[in-house]
Amino acid sequence: MSAPLLQVRNLTKRFGGLTAVDGLSFDVRKGTIHGLIGPNGAGKTTTFNMISGFYKPTEGDIVLREESISGLMMHEVAHRGVVRTFQHSTLFAEMTVLENVVVGTHMEFPPSIWNALTGQDAHDRRGAEAKAHEALEFFGLLAFQHSLAGDLPHGHQRALGMAVALACRPDIMLLDEPFTGMNPEETSRMMELMNKLRSSGLTLLLVEHDMHAIMGLCDNITCMSFGKFLAEGGPQEIRNHPDVIEAYLGGARHVA
Amino acid sequence: MLDLLLQTGLNALYSASYISLVAVGLVLIFGVMGIVNFAHGELFMAGAYVVVALYSGFKLPYLLVAAIGLIFVGCLGLLMERTMFRPLRTNPLGGLVASIGFLMILQALASMTFGVRMAFVPPVTQEVIEFSERVRLPVQRLYVILAAFGFLTLLWLFLTKTRFGWALRASAQDPEAAALQGISINQTAKIAMFIGAALAGIAGVLTAPLISVNPHMGHSVIIAAFIVAIVGGVGSLEGAVVASVAYAFVHTFVTTFFDGVIADITGLSLMLIVLIIKPTGLFGTADRA
Amino acid sequence: MRNFLIWLIVAAGLIALPHTLSFSLQEILVFLVINVLLVVSYRLLTLTGEWSLGHVVIMGVGAYTSALMTKRLGVYVPVSMIMGALMAGFVAFLLSFPLFRMKGFYFLIGSFASAEIIRLLWKRFREPFGGPKGLKRIDSLADINIGPIQVDFFEPVAYYYFALIVVAVCLWILWRIEKSLVGLTFHAVHWQDKLAQASGVDLRRYRTLAFVLASSFAGLSGALLAHYIGTINPNSFDVELMVFVLTWAIVGGTATFYGPILGCVVLTLLNEVVLREMGFQQMRPLIYGAIMIGSILFLPDGLESLVKRAMAAWKRRSTPAAEPGKESA
Repeated sequence: MSAPLLQVRNLTKRFGGLTAVDGLSFDVRKGTIHGLIGPNGAGKTTTFNMISGFYKPTEGDIVLREESISGLMMHEVAHRGVVRTFQHSTLFAEMTVLENVVVGTHMEFPPSIWNALTGQDAHDRRGAEAKAHEALEFFGLLAFQHSLAGDLPHGHQRALGMAVALACRPDIMLLDEPFTGMNPEETSRMMELMNKLRSSGLTLLLVEHDMHAIMGLCDNITCMSFGKFLAEGGPQEIRNHPDVIEAYLGGARHVA
Repeated sequence: MLDLLLQTGLNALYSASYISLVAVGLVLIFGVMGIVNFAHGELFMAGAYVVVALYSGFKLPYLLVAAIGLIFVGCLGLLMERTMFRPLRTNPLGGLVASIGFLMILQALASMTFGVRMAFVPPVTQEVIEFSERVRLPVQRLYVILAAFGFLTLLWLFLTKTRFGWALRASAQDPEAAALQGISINQTAKIAMFIGAALAGIAGVLTAPLISVNPHMGHSVIIAAFIVAIVGGVGSLEGAVVASVAYAFVHTFVTTFFDGVIADITGLSLMLIVLIIKPTGLFGTADRA
Repeated sequence: MRNFLIWLIVAAGLIALPHTLSFSLQEILVFLVINVLLVVSYRLLTLTGEWSLGHVVIMGVGAYTSALMTKRLGVYVPVSMIMGALMAGFVAFLLSFPLFRMKGFYFLIGSFASAEIIRLLWKRFREPFGGPKGLKRIDSLADINIGPIQVDFFEPVAYYYFALIVVAVCLWILWRIEKSLVGLTFHAVHWQDKLAQASGVDLRRYRTLAFVLASSFAGLSGALLAHYIGTINPNSFDVELMVFVLTWAIVGGTATFYGPILGCVVLTLLNEVVLREMGFQQMRPLIYGAIMIGSILFLPDGLESLVKRAMAAWKRRSTPAAEPGKESA
C-alpha cells in the first residue's frame, strides 16, 4: 500500500453555532476509489466543499502529498490536482458540449490575449480541442460535441460534468453524488467508467447516497454521522458495522 | 457656534424626515419584490407636482391635496406593479430597466405638462418658531418632521400588528416559504408597491412648498435614498430610518462647514465603505441580489 | 470569398454613407460610431456577469485624460487618446479592488457610487478639471496638409472616417478576444462561475481582466468624443448617458457580439432621426421610455433574438437537409 495522497486531519466546520463537521480525519490512498457516506445531514457535502476549496475550514488541515491545501481557493486547489464535480447538472448549459470540456483544459492551455490577437493561439486551441475530444470519447459523448450542453439528456449531462473534470487532468477527482437521478443501467455504466479511471491511475473520492454503487465500487469507505467520524473500512466491514447500521436506521427514522 | 450647530441639527432632522420616507419605500419594495425601483425619485417628484397642480393651481386645501397626492402616487405604484414588475418577477435586471423607462416617462410627462422650469408653490404657513435669534425652525419644516414621524409609526404598526403587515414581512424574508403558507405574492407585491410609492409621494407633497419643484428633482433624492438603503442594510426598514438620520446629519453638517459637492462625495464614500466592509449593509441580513 | 465580398460591400457603404447625409445627420453619425465602441465595450464588461453603472464615467476618464494631455502637456492627439484609454483601464484596475468584493445588485450600486465620486471630483476641482464648466477648446486632430491631400478634422466627415477606422480596429480586437480561449473563459465565468473555478479559472483575475479591457475601450471612445466636440464637462458623462448605454445593450441583447450594436444603431436612429423628424421634441424621452419598457416586456432577449430567428428560418429554407450543428465563422 502506498502512502496517502490526501490526508484530512481533524477537519472542523462551524456555521455560527452549528458544527457541521467535527474533528473529522481520514486518508485517501493513491489509485483508489474512496467513498464518503453517511445519513442526511452528516456533513459529507460540507467536508467535500472544504476539500475542494469551496468553504474554508474552521479548524483542522487538509494535506495533499506533503502540502497543506486547506483554506485555498477552489481554483488554487484545482491547480494542485484536486478537481471536483457538482451535484445536479452544473454545466455551461448555453455553450456546446465541446466548449464545456475545452474550459476544462484551462490549466493546461492557459489563454492569452496577446496570442489571441496575433493568431498564435491556433496551436493551443487545437491542443485544447484534442484533449477535449479525448475526454468526450472516454465518456462516449463525442457524437454530441456540437449540441448545446443544456439540451443533453440528464445522464449525459452527468457524464459531461465528469468529462470537464477529467479534461483538467486531475490527480484526485472529487465526485459529488455522481449517481443521483440515474437509472440502474446508467449507474452500472458509470461504475464501469469509474473503474476504468481508477485503472488509469486516477484517485476518486466520492460522496454518495446510492449504497449499491458505493459497495460495488469503493476500495475504502469512510462513514460519518452528525459531523463526526463513525467508521472506516472496506465495503464488507462497513456493511456489517453495527454503528453504521445504527446510524442509517436512526437517520432514516430522522428523515421520516 | 452653538447656535450654528443647533440650527444645522434642525436642518438635518428635516432632511432626515423626507429622505427616510423615500428610503423606507425603496427598501420595502426591494425587500418584498426584489426589484430596485429607479423610478422612486420620480414618484417623489410626482407627489410634489400634485401640490403644484392642485394647491398652487386649483387652490384646494393643503390637507386634501396631501391625501390626493398620497393616493395618486400610491396608484402609480400599483400601475407599475401590474404593468411592469409582475410580468418581470423572474427578471430583476429587467425590472430595474423597466423602472428606468418609467422614470423617463414620468419626467417627460412632468416637463410636458408643467414645463422644465422650477414651479412655484406658495407656502402653507409663514410661521417660524424662534428658539433664539439664530436658531429658527419654520413651522412648515416642523410639519414635515411630524408627518414623517407619524407615517413611519403608522407603517410600523401596520407591519407588526396587522395580518397584511405580517404577510408582507414574511414574504420579504422568504417569498417562496410565504407562497407556501398561502400568502399571495401578487397581493403582497401590490400592498408593498402601493405603500412604498405612497410614502415617496407624501414626501414629495410635504416638501413641495420648501424645495425647488422641477422635473429632475428626483435625482438627488434617489441617490440619498440609495445611500441610506445600503448603509441601513438592504431589506431592513429600521436600518433605513437610522441611516437616514445619520446620513442627513453628516450631509447637512458637511454642506454647512464645507460645501455641497464635498457632502455628496462624503455620502457616496460612506456607502462605498459600507459596501466594501459588509456588502449587505450595516443592519442587513437579506441577500436577494 | 463570399464573406469577403459582404465585408467589402459593408465597407463601401460605410464610406459612402456620410456623403448622402445632411450636416446635422453627419454629426449624429460621428456620435453613433463612437457610441458603438462604447456599447460593445460595455458588453465585454457584462460578459463576466456584472452590470456596471460606472461605464460612462470611465469613458469620461479617457476623455478628461486625453484632453488634459493635449492642453497641458502638448501631447499629440492620437497619442493622448491612447493615454486616455490606458488611464481609464488603470482607474478601472484600481476600482476593481473594492468593487469585486460585491456582486449583483451591490456591484451595480457600488459601481454607481464610485463613478459618481469621480464625477463629483471633476466638478469640485477647478484645477485641473475645470469644475462644473469642464474643459473647453480641446484640440482636434491636427489638419493634414500634404500637397493635394487636405483634411480638416473639424469637418464631421473627416472625423467620421478617422473614428470609423479606430472603432473598426477596436471591434476587430474585441471580436478576436471573444472568439479566443480568453473569450470562452469569460463566457464560462458568466454562465457558471463555480464550475469555471473548479476547472482552475481564477475568477477574480478574469473579472478584472474583462473590467479593465472594457474600461480601456470605453476610455478610448471618450477620448474620441472629447476631441470631436471640443468641450467636455462633468454632465457630459452623467447617469443619463449611462441609462442610454444600458438601454442599447438590453434592447439589442447581449448574447451576441452584434446585439448591442444593433440596439445602439436602431435606438439612435429612432431617437435622433425618426422622433426628431416627426417633431416630437418634448415627447422623445416619453416614447423612448415606453420603448424600453415594451422591449423588456415583449422582447426580453433583445433585437438580436429576432435576427437569430430570421437567420435560422433562412437557413432552414436554403438548406433543408443540413445539420442543425453550429458552424464556426
